[in-house]
Formats: sequence, structure tokens, C-alpha cells
Amino acid sequence: MADQVLQRESVATSDDVSARARPRAEWMQEVLGLFRRWYLQLIRDRLNLVFSLTQPAIWLAFFGSAVGRAIDPDVIGTSDYLGFMLAGVVAFTVVTNAMSGAMPLLWDKEVGYLDKLLAMPIARSSLIVSRFLFQFALGTAQVVLVFFVALAVGVEIAAGPLGAISVLALAGLLSMCFTALFMALAYRVPTHGTFFAIAGFLTLPLVFLSNAFVPVDAMPGWMQVIARLNPLTYAIEAMRTLVLEGWTAEVPRALGVLAVFAIASLGIATLEFVRHTGERT
Amino acid sequence: MVGVIETEALTRTFRDHVAVDGLDLAVEEGEIFGLLGPNGAGKTTTIRMLTTLLAPTSGRARVCGFDVSAQPQKVRRRIGYVMQSVPWQVNSLLSAREVLEIESSLHHVGRAAQKEMVDEALELVGLGQHADRLIKGFSGGMHKRLDIASGLLHRPRLLVLDEPTLGLDVQSRHRIWDYINQLRAEGVTILLATNYLDEADRLCNRLTIVDHGRTVVTGAPGDLKRAVGADVVQVATPTPDVVRAAVEREPWVSRIAQTDAEEVHVYVDDASAALPAMMRLSIERGISLHRITYTQPTLDDVFLLHTGRELREMEAAG
Repeated sequence: MADQVLQRESVATSDDVSARARPRAEWMQEVLGLFRRWYLQLIRDRLNLVFSLTQPAIWLAFFGSAVGRAIDPDVIGTSDYLGFMLAGVVAFTVVTNAMSGAMPLLWDKEVGYLDKLLAMPIARSSLIVSRFLFQFALGTAQVVLVFFVALAVGVEIAAGPLGAISVLALAGLLSMCFTALFMALAYRVPTHGTFFAIAGFLTLPLVFLSNAFVPVDAMPGWMQVIARLNPLTYAIEAMRTLVLEGWTAEVPRALGVLAVFAIASLGIATLEFVRHTGERT
Repeated sequence: MVGVIETEALTRTFRDHVAVDGLDLAVEEGEIFGLLGPNGAGKTTTIRMLTTLLAPTSGRARVCGFDVSAQPQKVRRRIGYVMQSVPWQVNSLLSAREVLEIESSLHHVGRAAQKEMVDEALELVGLGQHADRLIKGFSGGMHKRLDIASGLLHRPRLLVLDEPTLGLDVQSRHRIWDYINQLRAEGVTILLATNYLDEADRLCNRLTIVDHGRTVVTGAPGDLKRAVGADVVQVATPTPDVVRAAVEREPWVSRIAQTDAEEVHVYVDDASAALPAMMRLSIERGISLHRITYTQPTLDDVFLLHTGRELREMEAAG
């Protein structure tokens, strides 16, 4: 993935020949340097760290166990609402994370630090890739935490430990889709105000117009159509199947659909980034 | 001499506004070269093109021997850029040392050399004892100094400083001037954009005065000032026209410029002879004077000579 971005990017911004033949070591150094920047910022922002790490687990523990009592097992197809919710919480976490994950890029752009970075001899891709990896690492930590909470409150993962890893992979792909899309939005919009207006407008409907909390079959017809077009639905369905039933043919299909979504989103993000930075060089 | 910056008819247009209009610059190795001009003269746009952040609309610019459009990455490897406003907020939770370490990684400084280079840069700008403090607690002057350290860190061939003392208190300005002079001694080539006359005068070996994106005049500050005249007699009076008419034909007057509604500058060869003569004339003709004083010409007078306006006033206005 990283190499793809690197190549596409260096052609698009007409960097000189030596940049295309840039030693991998330099690129790694850039990505690690930027990764360290993201990491230090989060680790020093204690409240942010605590809330972003624990929020999904808290959702599952409190919301899941309270609302579960009001849910008709026939509608959701299982009496294990927490197990049912698990996939929804993971998906919701991924989406909110993706949104907050794009924010540092937005600030860099807005206060002009991005310009300073762009005047440095770095590959344009190392910026996006470092943020991407960072979000990926953070998201994984959150999902693992959610799993522990789920196990603690008695959810059993039908597909076993390998299934749990598959859920992580699905969450990872999903996070690629949305992180990339929100990054694209961050580079596209003129100000942070626009970013939050659009992101706020999209995020909740995106989650509610998926099967995060309600199965698709239980939705009105028009909603089903939208839910079927929503990448969240595929990820959630596969994760839910892994948790509640075990391995089925649905899992690889969902992985395939998500991979297509992820590649498309990454393409959009790269295009937006090149568009934003390309005009300058 | 080797040209560190060479531009030919460098031009940048934003829609129908020409921000930089056919600029020719030639900056040589080891000099501090000033870009002096009022706000909106095109200084930052020029810098953004030279630092590869903005493509020229037409014309050419070579920095350290490489074309900014064709070989931006080679240019970026050789320059340090200190922006006009310090975008420190996005790094507020990092320490000064961490900021520099991360930026040195982005300049591909090897791990072995990193510590030494970071320490050295911090020492140079006097932040050694604050190295491990989070920068959110820094003052404006400290942020600027850290930014200069980050521009220097990788030992660039060219350091670009865009308004390095804008908005700083007097003490911080003097400190930064000291660092810049120190860098000159070390042979770093510096492009310094400023709208402070005293700053340009004090630091620059040569400078270009720009106005409306065009070169007004280029030269060493001393030469430019000498071209204006030896002394400037500044006369504040309610009737500048009458003063002008009174002295215009005197042989010791080389030029007269009205700078505002109540002030004229009379350029003379020798103020000690001109002052009594002017007093005599104003008594004879009953001209009232608020104040009469003389100075050596400043870069403001140079600007006035070439543009008919005062830089000082435009600064205050805008």
C-alpha cells in the first residue's frame, strides 16, 4: 500500500528523478519521524487519550447492557445483544476515529505547518502514510480493548481467536476506507468549519444507515437500499457473523468488498492531497 | 561568485492580480540579502516560489543551482525556511528538543549526528536550558528562536527568513539580530524578507527594495543611502508648500520631497550649513515651523526617492 502511494505521488508531483529513486531508508525515517510526532501529541494529551481509548469499551459495557433489555431477540436474530452490538460498536469507533484522525492534518494545513513540511525534502506520501499507520495502531488498540470488555461481560466469539483476528482485519480495512475519506475531506475543505459541518452531517447518518444497531432486514425498504450501499454494513455483517455464528462464506465476500472500498478511498485521498499540494510545486 | 538564488523575470499572478512582476534577483554565496518592501509588495509570494511552495506563473528561479519547478526536491534539500508566523500550536505538546529531532528526521539527518546537531542548534538560539520544556509554555520570541533553530538544524546552504522579528519585543529582536549576524560569520547565505527599515539596514549586505511586485532598486544599504544625498533636513510646518517655494532655488538644496501634509524633507550636502540658512529664510518670510531637525538618510528616504511614498507610513497604515 505504502509503495503504491509513494509511486503514484512522486509521478504526480513531478519530483525529480532522485526523488523517485529515493532510498527506502529515507522514506522510512520520514514516516517514523512523523509517526513519533502524532504519537507524542496523543500521549501528552491525557484526557484525549483516555477518552478515545475507553469510549468504545464504555459504550459496549453500559449502552449495550442497558439497551439490550429493551431489544426483541426475534428482530436481531439472537438473544446475545452484546454480541450483536460488538460489531456495531467497533464500526462506530472506526468512523469517529477516522474523523478525529484527519483533524491534525487539518490543523497543520490551517496554521501553515503543512507548508513548512512541504518545503522540507520529504515524500508527500510519508505525511499521509504516517497518519494512516498511526490511526491504524490506535484503532487496533481500541478494538482490542473493546474485545477484552466484551469477553469480560460474557460475549463469546464463535469463530474463536482466529475469528477475533479477522474482526481486527475487517476493522482495519474499514478504518482505511474512512480515514482516507476524512483525510480527503480535510484537504478538500477551505476551513475547519466546513470540515466539521460536513463530517458532523455525515457521521451519524452513516452509522444509523447501516446495520450497526439494527439488522438490515428490520429496516424500511428505502433504508435497506442505502444500508446495502454503505461499506459499514459489509464490515459489520462480517464481524457480527464471526462473533455470533463463526466462519461463513460471507466473511471473505465482505473482505473483498471492503478491500475495493478501501482502495477507492485511498485513491481519492491521494488525489485530493496531490491536488492540494500539486498546484504549489 | 556563485549564485545561490538567481531569478529571471520571476512572475506570479493570482487571477488578475500580479503579486510578483518580473523579479530579477541574484543572491551570492555568503551574503545576507534583503527583500525590503511594504506589506503586499510580493515578498512572501517570492519566498513561496523560492521555497518550492508555489509555482511561478512565468519566469525562472534557480536556488542553489536547481530550478524550483523542475527540481523542487533538490532545492528543498538545500534550504532552511523560517516562516513569517510560527505555526507552533500544532506542536504545542512537544518539547523543543523533540520538535527539532522530528524535523531533523524529515531532513534525513542520521541518528548518530542528530543529537549533536539538535544540541548545537538549540545552543545557537539560546534555548539550551529550555530544550526539554513543552513549547506551549514558550514566549513569542522563544517560538521564533526555535523556528530559526529548526531552519538551521540541517545546515542548509540557504536560510530563508520571512519577517523574522515581526511582532517581537525589542529585546527579542536584538537577540535574533545577533543570531543572524553570527550566522553571517559562519558563512550561511541568508535571504531576509522584512518591512523593518532598521532591520534591513543593520543586517543586509545587499538588498532589493520591492514595491507592487517589482524591483525598485538593488544595492548595498550604504550605497543606496549615499545616492539619496548626504543629509536630510526634516521640516514640520503647517505650510509645506511655502517652505518648498522658499528653499527650492537655493544652491545647497539637492532635492525636496513632501512626506505628508505637514512635513517636507530637504536633501542637502551639509546640514550644518543648511540649517541656519533655512532658519534665516523662514524668519525672513514669516514661515512658521513646528520642528526642524536633520538626520542621515535612511532606507526610508531611499524608498521615498524611488517610489514617492514613505515605507514607514505604509507600515503604520497596513
